[in-house]
Amino acid sequence: MSLFYVVAFLSIIFALLVIFTKNPVHSVLYLIATFFTFTIHYIILNAQFLAVVNFIVYMGAIMVLFLFVLMLMNLNTDTEPMKSTLLKVVGAIAGGCLLVTLVGSMKTLSSASTTAMDNTGIGLVENLGKVLFSDFLLPFELSSILLLAAMVGAVLLAKKDNKTA
Amino acid sequence: MSTLIVISILAIVVLYLGLFKAKQALLPISVLGLVAALALAIMEWNSNAAPIFSGMMHFDNFAVAFSSICIITTILVFLLSKNYFEKISDNVAEYYTLILFALSGIIVMVSYHNLSMLFVGLEIMSVSLYILAGIKRKDFASNEAALKYFLMGAFSTGFLLFGIALIYGASKSFDLAVIAQYVIDRPTGIDPIFYVGLVLMIVGLCFKVGAAPFHFWTPDVYEGAPTLITAFMSTVVKIAGFAAFLRLFSICFAPLQDFWMPTLLVITILTLFVGNITALYQTNFKRMLAFSSISHAGYMLFAIVALGAASTNAIFIYAAAYAVSSITAFAVLMLVKAKTGSENFEDFNGLAKSNPFLAFALTVAMLSFAGIPLTAGFIGKFFVFNAALAQYHTWLVAIAVVNAIIGVFYYFKVIVAMYFKDNQTKQIATPAYFNFVLGVSLIITLVLGIYPSFITNLF
Amino acid sequence: MGLLSILIFVPLLFGLTILLLPKKYSQSYKYFTVAVAVIQLAITAYLYCQFQTGAAFTGVNQLDSYQFKEYLPWIRLDIGKFGALQIDYLLGVDGFSIPLLFLSALVMLIAALSSWEIKENHKGYFSLMMLLNTAIMGVFCALDIFLFYVFYELMLLPLYFLIGIWGGVRREYAAIKFFLYTLLGSVFMLLVIAGLYFSVIDPLTGNHTFNMVHMMNPQNYVPDGIFSFLAHQDILGIPARLLGFIVVFIAFAIKVPIVPFHTWLPDAHVEAPTPISIILAGVLLKVGGYGIIRIAYSIFPDVALNLSFYIGLLGVISILYGAMVALAQTDLKRLIAYSSVSHMGFVLLGLASLTSEGISGAMMQMISHGFLSVMLFFIVGVVYNRVHDRYIYNFRGLATHMPIYTGFVMIAFFASLGLPGFSAFIAEAFSLIGAFNSESVNGLIPRWMAILGSFGILLGAAYLLWTLQRMFFGQLRVKEENWLIKLKDLNVREILTLVPLAFFAILLGVIPSLVFNIINTSVNQFILLFT
Repeated sequence: MSLFYVVAFLSIIFALLVIFTKNPVHSVLYLIATFFTFTIHYIILNAQFLAVVNFIVYMGAIMVLFLFVLMLMNLNTDTEPMKSTLLKVVGAIAGGCLLVTLVGSMKTLSSASTTAMDNTGIGLVENLGKVLFSDFLLPFELSSILLLAAMVGAVLLAKKDNKTA
Repeated sequence: MSTLIVISILAIVVLYLGLFKAKQALLPISVLGLVAALALAIMEWNSNAAPIFSGMMHFDNFAVAFSSICIITTILVFLLSKNYFEKISDNVAEYYTLILFALSGIIVMVSYHNLSMLFVGLEIMSVSLYILAGIKRKDFASNEAALKYFLMGAFSTGFLLFGIALIYGASKSFDLAVIAQYVIDRPTGIDPIFYVGLVLMIVGLCFKVGAAPFHFWTPDVYEGAPTLITAFMSTVVKIAGFAAFLRLFSICFAPLQDFWMPTLLVITILTLFVGNITALYQTNFKRMLAFSSISHAGYMLFAIVALGAASTNAIFIYAAAYAVSSITAFAVLMLVKAKTGSENFEDFNGLAKSNPFLAFALTVAMLSFAGIPLTAGFIGKFFVFNAALAQYHTWLVAIAVVNAIIGVFYYFKVIVAMYFKDNQTKQIATPAYFNFVLGVSLIITLVLGIYPSFITNLF
Repeated sequence: MGLLSILIFVPLLFGLTILLLPKKYSQSYKYFTVAVAVIQLAITAYLYCQFQTGAAFTGVNQLDSYQFKEYLPWIRLDIGKFGALQIDYLLGVDGFSIPLLFLSALVMLIAALSSWEIKENHKGYFSLMMLLNTAIMGVFCALDIFLFYVFYELMLLPLYFLIGIWGGVRREYAAIKFFLYTLLGSVFMLLVIAGLYFSVIDPLTGNHTFNMVHMMNPQNYVPDGIFSFLAHQDILGIPARLLGFIVVFIAFAIKVPIVPFHTWLPDAHVEAPTPISIILAGVLLKVGGYGIIRIAYSIFPDVALNLSFYIGLLGVISILYGAMVALAQTDLKRLIAYSSVSHMGFVLLGLASLTSEGISGAMMQMISHGFLSVMLFFIVGVVYNRVHDRYIYNFRGLATHMPIYTGFVMIAFFASLGLPGFSAFIAEAFSLIGAFNSESVNGLIPRWMAILGSFGILLGAAYLLWTLQRMFFGQLRVKEENWLIKLKDLNVREILTLVPLAFFAILLGVIPSLVFNIINTSVNQFILLFT
């Protein structure tokens, strides 16, 4: 339990740092750290597959891609435009409201409802695969359309077009 | 289910047609495929379908009705697309494919029986639209629209996903039936995180349908995106959003009405006022349509606020009326813009003299928007108001009526321009496809207005 | 397909024909319009003759005693716990609607005849006029309140375009003002209609219904309905029935128009072309009066009874205010427009008295004002068509220059100011008698209202005679020399138009029983609602 609290504390800290640092490259680095703490969470929850995927795909591939883009486009200066104070105040209030709601509901959550996991092996690759290919077959297949759409779109937007629009 | 398969395969077929440079075949094949999908959908009417794929999807009458209306509207949009994409780019096939992908996502959204399906459907639709909004790559407004839509969409998806996760946390299921049972089984003592999940889902869905105060993306995106895509977004996508909204709330959350109703009530009133009052000050016709679409979202939210037996029907009629009128408005706008190069109200001056049919069709569409009797819009508004009055939301209806009158004011601006102002413009050439679409929309609007019994007894 | 349906849909049919005919026939459109009006006049005349009176034909709140009834189911919708939504195509006439139907047909004929002045875009003009004609006939025949509302709203659109496209200089402003005023009233009325719908059930089928005749019978109300007689529900702290009555009353009061809801009227009249002014004054204002009788009073009799004093007061204010403003006008058309406000005040005063005489007088005033205002606006149109000016001080001594015209003007003016022997005299006299008797019969409105009302007649005489003196008597003098050539006397078509109007004005003045006999049974039944 104490390990959970330490990691949870760390992930919140890192997440906050992502937002508060002015240098975009630092932001991305903190994001990687945040994802790393998530990976630890997954391991604690016995979700090994998710942990691995999170580690390789998010931390590895996507974040590196992010960093490359930032460096290639030379965005690593403090270019964040100043938002008006009003916008900041409004944002803070809205975010605060959400936070209060969440915290409030978590507090009223009776402690008895911490259910022990019925099946400790639920996060294992084998079980995940079984669920994905039986109960969740349709959404799984449909995700292919999603990926295809994204792929077509990416090519469409990135490819050179002779005509000018 | 077969509808979904047909549409998905159609999309891939169209993609291949593009590969083999069969440009002339794109439009006919897409339309034919959609007609087949429509026929398949209608065949499932009253088949008493049970949830399929271990409760993932339920193609009930609700799904059939809303899929049909979405498919029909997409066909109309396609018919308007003749020679439209060619002007923008060489890769026409991909655009048709993306629209079809979006439509397949929409079919999922109106027939889901599991929150994971809702999410997948929503994402398929959204991702396709992010790209479609930005297809004018050299156009700054289009780029801005795409980026804004993408950021806002991703943000709202986050809310939705968070909501789904919390609801799962409380009810331990994604299945709508199980969630509904969870709610019914616990008259008191529902997990607090369930409520938080519910609120977050409202936020996420309101983003998607463009209800105030989550509407900020709408005007810019609608204005910046190519007009045809705007037509698609403001009709099919909006209807799908409401169908998903209504499906979720009528199946799962109906017993919790006391909890979410006040929230939604405030959102509705805000949406109505923001949409209408801002629309009043627009000089750009397209932007006016964007704001008016916000206000129409407000009217449709009515039926969800007053959730009851009549809600489905009310939203269905309203959506049908709104869709055909929007198509007409955007079709005329496209023609006018092609002629004059801009989309302000002045560009419509003297249209009644040069193109009486265009002017007449647009007038009927505007009257339908405004809710003048004998148009479909009036029947839609009447049913929505009736649904609200049945639950004694007198205040709400009174506010809506005031808004309807404000609406008349700005819808009539374009009528005034067309009929009362003179402008020595030459006749705008209208392609046969456009005349067909305008004619169909006109007939639907009037027939639904005069004899709505065609579709009032569906549910 | 009964006669009433034919009456309603003949113009629509001809309107579509006009739309489809090629442009080269555009000269024939006006003959179509006249033909339609003649057909309608024949049908209404036939109906008027066939109309039966007596205890079995009372109408008002007795559905079975309406005549020439037609019924078709229109919209059906199953809405869960509220049963089925039931909207019918239900037509029928009683003593209140039959004279107005005849009047409308006649006015439409006159309007068609005066449409010769329209110079551009014949196709649009005449097809819109046909649509308007359909809507007007529909309003007077509809017995389903939803159907009534649809026809009522349908009148607005053609009028909006007719004023907005063929109107005067400030037509755009006048058109949208007219449209928004009327719409503002009517959409709130729609809410009351929906509320009534939820409160009333059809005694035969048990469904909620939009049948307005059922709405007039207290026993058809569900006990806890929002507008139930017994439940005394509140909306926003105001008794529901009171609020309902006020909303409906205002909706129609805008149409009548009653001070202070009249401000659209002068603008609309001044900007509208002559035929449209004729329709506005001749029929549209009557729709307001008819609506007050048929819907506001009949469905909310208890509230109407309580508010009689205020309604009478509004009537008196309209009479006096309209007359005084008319005195101050220098534009002939504006003057006539304000005289309409004043004359329609008598309708309200007669109604408020809730006596047999008063209500008969009110009905008579609507019919009489129908003929007379049409005549007056046509007379204005004659001058305006010739010289495009209607400033009173630009004309003088026309009597010698245009003798036939002046003759008709004198008939119209004397009839309007209530000279005995003309219809307006009977109408105003009966309204005032009703108002005067009210204090002793039912104590609803005090005598001083009747006395103030008669002052209105005096003021009416003042502005009409003064105008006659300024424009027609004295030395012949007009603003520009060439006007004298342009100001020709009436031609045959114009005489043909004015003669039937003058004829009816005198006929009803001499034999008012032609109307009173027809409306009497319904009036008596109507009064029973308030006891």
